[in-house]
Amino acid sequence: MISPYRKTTLLNRVAIASLGAAVVFAGSASARTTQADIDADATSTGDVLSWGIGQQGQRYSPLNKVNKKNVKKLVPAWSFSFGGEKQRGQEAQPVIKDGKMFVTASYSRLYAIDSKTGEELWQYDHRLPDGILPCCDVVNRGAALYDDLVIFGTLDARIIALSQETGKVVWRAKVDDYKAGYSMTAAPLIVKDMVITGVSGGEFGVVGRVEARDAKTGKMRWIRPSIEGHMGYIWKDGKKVENGITGTTNATWPGDMWKTGGAATWQGGSYDHEVDLIFYGTGNPAPWNAHLRPGDNLYATSTLALDPDTGKISWHYQYTPNDGWDYDGVNELVSFNTGGKKLAGHADRNGFFYVLDRTNGNLENAFPFVNRIDWAKGVDLKTGRPIETGVRAGDPTKSKDGKKGESVFVAPSFLGAKNWMPMAYSPDTELFYVPANEWGMDLWNEPITYKKGAAYLGAGFTIKPLNEDYIGALRAVDPKSGKVVWEYKNNAPLWGGVMTTGGGLVFTGTPEGFLKAFDDKTGEELWKFQTGSGVVGCPVTWEQDGEQFIAVPSGWGGAVPLWGGDVAKKVKYLNQGGSLWVFKLSDV
Amino acid sequence: MIKLMAPGMLFIFLYCLTPVAHTEEVSPDPLDSVMWKEMRRSLLGDAPVVFDDQVRVLLPGDAEDSMNVPVLVDATALGKVTRLLVFAELNPIHKVLEMEPRQSKPLIGFRIKVQQATPVRAAALTPDGQWHVGGHIVEAAGGGCTAPSLSSDNEDWASRMGEVSGRLWPGDQSTRLRMRIMHPMDTGLVSGIPAFFINRLELQDNAGDLLTRLFLYEPVSENPVITLDLPKLNVVKVQGEDNNGNPVQARILAGLSGDKK
Repeated sequence: MISPYRKTTLLNRVAIASLGAAVVFAGSASARTTQADIDADATSTGDVLSWGIGQQGQRYSPLNKVNKKNVKKLVPAWSFSFGGEKQRGQEAQPVIKDGKMFVTASYSRLYAIDSKTGEELWQYDHRLPDGILPCCDVVNRGAALYDDLVIFGTLDARIIALSQETGKVVWRAKVDDYKAGYSMTAAPLIVKDMVITGVSGGEFGVVGRVEARDAKTGKMRWIRPSIEGHMGYIWKDGKKVENGITGTTNATWPGDMWKTGGAATWQGGSYDHEVDLIFYGTGNPAPWNAHLRPGDNLYATSTLALDPDTGKISWHYQYTPNDGWDYDGVNELVSFNTGGKKLAGHADRNGFFYVLDRTNGNLENAFPFVNRIDWAKGVDLKTGRPIETGVRAGDPTKSKDGKKGESVFVAPSFLGAKNWMPMAYSPDTELFYVPANEWGMDLWNEPITYKKGAAYLGAGFTIKPLNEDYIGALRAVDPKSGKVVWEYKNNAPLWGGVMTTGGGLVFTGTPEGFLKAFDDKTGEELWKFQTGSGVVGCPVTWEQDGEQFIAVPSGWGGAVPLWGGDVAKKVKYLNQGGSLWVFKLSDV
Repeated sequence: MIKLMAPGMLFIFLYCLTPVAHTEEVSPDPLDSVMWKEMRRSLLGDAPVVFDDQVRVLLPGDAEDSMNVPVLVDATALGKVTRLLVFAELNPIHKVLEMEPRQSKPLIGFRIKVQQATPVRAAALTPDGQWHVGGHIVEAAGGGCTAPSLSSDNEDWASRMGEVSGRLWPGDQSTRLRMRIMHPMDTGLVSGIPAFFINRLELQDNAGDLLTRLFLYEPVSENPVITLDLPKLNVVKVQGEDNNGNPVQARILAGLSGDKK
């Protein structure tokens, strides 16, 4: 780099920075979010700083001002419209800091709102190109806070860091080419002053990866691909250095198939500061037609435990080896401690609930959390591998015309016994609250070859409900016994996040438009409120001026109306929306 | 020539009637615009203002294309100018651009969108703290700010976004620069398309020293074409960004098309 050039650039930056200094420094001495604040997020009740209400992902708040006795008096404090015509799925989890709420909405929009009054402070509407390729609705799941920045990913695969004060862009990074199918929908994670992100696009044959950037500047720190054979990199003194191939090339993938192998890291990760590991789920291997890729197909449908300093894989656990059902493994891994053990729970799309030792990835327990699982009889606790039943869609090359393999009916469906919507864990009851769905699918394979930017499935499918009266089931699951302690059945599939509190409550939304509160021990429905559109967002709670507030986005959408097949009749009268609701106890 | 102030008697009369000591307008607005007082209050503040023909604003009397009205602002007759502000009063978004001329002449050519017939004015701040204002009215059929940009009809607009083409014409005293930057410059007033525009451009010499700085706003036409008069140079660097943080970077050479980002 030429030094005079660099000097001037720096000087210019200083000049620009000084213009905004009055705004930036006014009252922001306490407003800066530090890594220590984020690590303590699960126990700090005056703010919500991270995806998961604490980066261990328990979605548990110790707040108990709203509790089983008084939850019936919960009333709206304010409501906020996301506006415009862009009313699609609102899957975000808001974050709150020093009286400011930051919430994302469909089409890569971000709003800053006064968390007491609901007044808008500013909004950022990302200009999206026409060619974006989101597979499963134009959602966004939330932003991350770091220092004086609010950071989120966009559908055209960019990371945008905005000033919390002004909403102006401070830095932006291009992650990848949206025309090849890359996009971003997950909330970023902040670990050791880095912003950690994945990529969406597993339906287009992109290769998943986890990336770390300096959270203050956006400069690259490391990159770890999620499919074996791909090189990882680390940046040392600004130079990109090879940091070892992921896995061993061709160990579990045939030929060149690993080059477009999927395993998108689209769900966002969690960070456990107790074991200093980042946990990232990986999606399905591509294409869906598993006959084209014999082998386990590492590291698809897995949880990866990554060393935050180097991005190297410390351990992995694969839920569905040689996935032939699109049993994407991105679902969150939630840390919990019990009996002196550091464990973690994961409810997979494939119907099994897994309890792992989070220090090494060893399987401690695995059991079904839905009523019907066709593809496997169980999970062998010694080997950690599923005991398959052989219910796999046929190989199209063995069919008469070579165009369509034998179709099978299999449960769960590819939309999963549980999809992206995050579950909650209460250290009070030691139960997980899992938003489950009971459905199956007819599934068949078709020939497919990779083409940039085109869907890379090689499968056909249609989803069917398994029961007349319900698809969704919120279940309280005991990770020790594997028993379902209580359940709440819902007509339409559940698609929203769950939260539990020290007040003994479990909150979740329904596509029918209700935010509901349940007794955490019995499952009794104690309160509900109709928000006007389906709730597929993630509830949060915080305390402000002595009152406990609860917020949830409302706005029906997500993958179900797009991919739901025969489920359509249960959801066709659900109307779209786009708003945020905030509740508190009635004053009267 | 300076059209300086109305008769002193009137000034004193007005001053006595106004309880707050505020620099009140005394010379009548030559364009007789209903928006002038508001523009002055919101954009020029309390600094003294004169209408001054030395600030030349050249533009067509009738806009043939409301989305592309060529404008040339030339305040070189004033000598040193520290800021140059261009605004279109009857546009839904008034501010068009700001320039800190620094090493460049206080002269800039560009194209704007107009929503209806409007005064287009330029205000030049001289080192004595005086604003000098010139302007003209452009007649227009209208709708330039609320019609979608042509780029937004083209699905491929994003692939060329940020591309810069341009050329330097060396003169005896200075170098003329003309460049075009590919960008939709969306106003945010078209349903479903958020405001998306280049908001900062810096021109530097080859060593990285600042020549001039520009702040653009939504009314600048898509794919902005900008003309500047710079000191004698062989290479000009262009650095900037839009309101989404997308960078603009180029080097423009004499007699050649600028290399793209």
